Amino acid sequence: MTVIGDILHLLTTADLWQAALAASVLLLLPALGGVISERSGVVNIAMEGMMLTGAFFGVVADLAWHNVWLATLVAIVAGGAMALIHAVVSIRFRADQIVSGIAINIFAAGMTVFLVRRIYGVQDIGHVGPSELLPNLNIPILDQIPFIGQVFFQQNVVVYIAFFLLVLVQVVLFRTRLGLRIRAVGEHPHAADTAGINVYWIRYGAVITSGLLSGLAGAFLAIGISNTFVPNMTDGRGYIALAAMIFGKWTPLGAFLACLIFGLGEAIYANNSTIHVSPYLLSMLPYILVLVVLAGVIGRSNPPAADGIPYVPGAE
Amino acid sequence: MATSSVSAAGPRTPRIPEPLRRLTRGLAVPVGSVLFAFVVGGLIVAGTGGDPVVAYQGLVCGGLGILCSGGENSALQISNTIIFVTPLLMAGVAVALPFRAGLFNIGAEGQYLAGAVACTAIGVKFSTLPAPILLPMVLLGGMAAGAFWAGIAGVLKATTGAHEVVTTIMLNYVAQWLVRYLIIGGPLELPGGFSVSSPIGPGAQLATILPNDNHRILFGLPSSVYRIHVGLFIALAAVAVFAFLLWRTPLGYEIRAVGQSQRAARYAGVSVRRTIIVTMLIAGAFAGLAGAVQIAGVDHNLTDIYFSDTTGFDAIAVALLGLGSGVGIVLASILFGALHAGGSVMQADAGISSSLVLVLQALILFSIGANFLSAIKVRLPAIGRSPSTPPAAIAAAATATEATGAPPEKDTS
Amino acid sequence: MRQSQIRYLGLAAAALLLVAACGSSTAGTPSPSTKVVKVGLVTDIGGLNDKSFNHLADVGLEKAKTDFHIQGDVTESHTGGDYIPNLTHFATGNYDLVIGVGFLMQQAVGTVAGQFPTVKFAIIDGVGTDAKGNDLKLPNVVSLVFKEQDAGAMVGVIAGMMEKDKLTPGKTNVISAVGGVSIPPVNHYIAGYKWAATMEDPGIKVLVGYSNDFTDPAKCQSVAKAQIAAKSEIVFQVAGGCGLGALQAAGQAKLFSIGVDADQGTADPSVIASALKKVDVATYTAIQSVVNGTFQSGALTFSIVNGGAGYQLDNFPGGALPADIQTEVDSVMAKIKAGTLTPPDTIPAG
Repeated sequence: MTVIGDILHLLTTADLWQAALAASVLLLLPALGGVISERSGVVNIAMEGMMLTGAFFGVVADLAWHNVWLATLVAIVAGGAMALIHAVVSIRFRADQIVSGIAINIFAAGMTVFLVRRIYGVQDIGHVGPSELLPNLNIPILDQIPFIGQVFFQQNVVVYIAFFLLVLVQVVLFRTRLGLRIRAVGEHPHAADTAGINVYWIRYGAVITSGLLSGLAGAFLAIGISNTFVPNMTDGRGYIALAAMIFGKWTPLGAFLACLIFGLGEAIYANNSTIHVSPYLLSMLPYILVLVVLAGVIGRSNPPAADGIPYVPGAE
Repeated sequence: MATSSVSAAGPRTPRIPEPLRRLTRGLAVPVGSVLFAFVVGGLIVAGTGGDPVVAYQGLVCGGLGILCSGGENSALQISNTIIFVTPLLMAGVAVALPFRAGLFNIGAEGQYLAGAVACTAIGVKFSTLPAPILLPMVLLGGMAAGAFWAGIAGVLKATTGAHEVVTTIMLNYVAQWLVRYLIIGGPLELPGGFSVSSPIGPGAQLATILPNDNHRILFGLPSSVYRIHVGLFIALAAVAVFAFLLWRTPLGYEIRAVGQSQRAARYAGVSVRRTIIVTMLIAGAFAGLAGAVQIAGVDHNLTDIYFSDTTGFDAIAVALLGLGSGVGIVLASILFGALHAGGSVMQADAGISSSLVLVLQALILFSIGANFLSAIKVRLPAIGRSPSTPPAAIAAAATATEATGAPPEKDTS
Repeated sequence: MRQSQIRYLGLAAAALLLVAACGSSTAGTPSPSTKVVKVGLVTDIGGLNDKSFNHLADVGLEKAKTDFHIQGDVTESHTGGDYIPNLTHFATGNYDLVIGVGFLMQQAVGTVAGQFPTVKFAIIDGVGTDAKGNDLKLPNVVSLVFKEQDAGAMVGVIAGMMEKDKLTPGKTNVISAVGGVSIPPVNHYIAGYKWAATMEDPGIKVLVGYSNDFTDPAKCQSVAKAQIAAKSEIVFQVAGGCGLGALQAAGQAKLFSIGVDADQGTADPSVIASALKKVDVATYTAIQSVVNGTFQSGALTFSIVNGGAGYQLDNFPGGALPADIQTEVDSVMAKIKAGTLTPPDTIPAG
């Protein structure tokens, strides 16, 4: 059973946990977005499309203006724009939110490739220079702590932002009045409306926020980890984020746990050069792990009561 | 036509039969949505310097075999479209049926792959058996494998409450890696290191409808280019079985009851747990059948192509667009199949990236979704939501539209 | 409201149809009297922006269009189910040459070429086969195969010599390769790389890992990072668009990397060399043979002998290879050309 031994040994290395944390962030950001959106009552399975859109426009902007911060902003806004479409279709037109979410994902996949071809033609899109990427940042002093220093304080700037947002969203959602309003709108919109909360504004804000977060994740992927745009580079992460959100019972910390499991799985898998087992079986690991944990420990996940129901004033 | 039904008083409208009127009313919005999508798509093409007319000509030619101007063979285009349509019919059912029970079967892809794997494994292991034995074996094996794959999610949901969206997404990935495990250096690999599976025995192959002959000319081309196979009839039969099951059997009633309200269903004596499991098993069987038919009818072996397959995801769009009705699924499958086939021709002939097809699909979904409110709300409960007592309006609309396929008249200004 | 919406849509659709009717008269214009050679390219599912050989094949096509004034059309396969329809579309459209990219298309090419014996086919990285993988040896099919192991060997020599000469920061004597998926074209590269590096530096350790992905840079970056953590100092990416992430991992660690298929020197400053697989040249050559009427079925092998596979020096520190490495590289190249050295096409064990 040297495979188990290999994996256990890996789990004691700081490199592995450092990688796991970074990998989890790509899932955490869209998952946080999903949590916010669904807590307000709007089902959002469009994280994949919003992330991909952010990635594409981030690269285009960075190539054009050579400024990674501006490009990241563009990516965030692009994600938000996609989310706005979802918001309008779901809230104003009261469309089925699953339809809209799926449509966004398909739209993003098609539109990004279409635009790459149209803008860049045969040339292909090109690469962003190494100085124009979201930088890694070692936090001084803290990064020298053995083990923990490498894992937590030698990461990309987006990783720090993501963890800040994790704490922020958890606190806001469950300990502030704004969070209470968001959750009220997601559980009992009619009561919230009666209490004077503007259901529409809250829902629009929540959905757009989910797009902003997914756009940031796209920027991290395309101009942080990578330096170019490859069609479908998000590789299904938006759907994993969706699963993480449900697994986490629509809480930021719960979602993070799921994202961490996936991040761990990806980090362990990355060592397939030195672990002697079929890479395909190794790839199955995180998914089976989630299944086992979900069935054995987490159990039932109930979404917010009004999740997915378009709000019709007075239709109670 | 803002009238709700034939008015009792006043002059009678001309004798348009009610079913026809219902049909046109039912089709009006989907057709309008498709038109809307094409108009916007045309604007996008034109706005980026392309020629929408040439683009759409290629699309329609490749999808339906009409308006072809470059000498394309219409029979061939139609045949190619039907090849794409066939698995979508069955996979569409695999998503639409659980929707009725309030479940979102996003795992149709994994169930499809499970069916393809089973068909290949059986077809290779027993490749010497003759068709009357082997063919039912591979198809039933595919159904069993798909049912098993979905059953895992169903059982987990019914016993532990594990959300089916999470479990089926996980199972999708496991299925993908299983395919790769089996054919790349694995037990099903064709000797020689090709990273494809051995071919299934001839007894496991579904016959083509037209003779598979390189030298017989039909409609101007060697008849072997028309790859349509009898799996099409299996697929259509599957849709019919789905419709029959849902509307004319006690199980179908239970499924719809659970989808409307689990609490009310329980009061009516329906075992919700059992219904969920059975629904997922049946849905998985349909998806597994789709995978098995694809192997048996088209590919005859399992290759890495299946790792990147998207049938199960396209099926979600088909089920949504088809509003979960049998006829709707057929029409939606034809639409998506035609778009898929047409996109390649559009790119070859007009130089417009076939990704435009994805944009069109999205636009169609958007406009259908935005227009078709109540009917969709009835048919597609949100993810995981266990509707306890649906708002009165939805319940009323539900009973009103239960037997028809048409949306209730509702002014959406 | 909905009624008038539908009416507007109907009007728009009618307008479009009208334009189509008027427009289609130009679409059917008879072609000019001199026959223009028509070439169709069918890509694999990675699409034209795969940063790998679909893109390269297109580059070759574009160059042929400029040089030979041919009509060249491309269609991308989105799923495996598109191979046969796409190939058939060009075959039925009286195209002179239909080019398929990738060995996954072998069976499709075998099938369609058999149905259209008067159309010429070329397939990159494969041969026209039947369902059992047997080469059908069709008279209208030319296989454009590459000895990727030659290219891998060239960069393997460089990597091995670098470690032997202790030119690397850590002098760990470990190098690595990140493969996309364990398929023959990928493994050929890695085989040549490992063989050559071990030949130059017998004590060297070559780690081989697979990302199982060709499109997601993050996956290859994590594999590369793990290899770097296991002391690798030179990372050879053999994973298309995904592999670009591996190059960046090397750059972030201030180590070295090697690109693949095309010259990837601009992808990251850490790229010291690229293993070249001149798919564009192969495509161009096949088209040229059809234009000149010199098409011959069988296999066209592109290796170091005819310059179809090779290497390109990129951002090597100091600008050029040190004299002893350059001598060694040239010597190995000459031996491979002469046949006295043959890189293997399966990854050596150990």
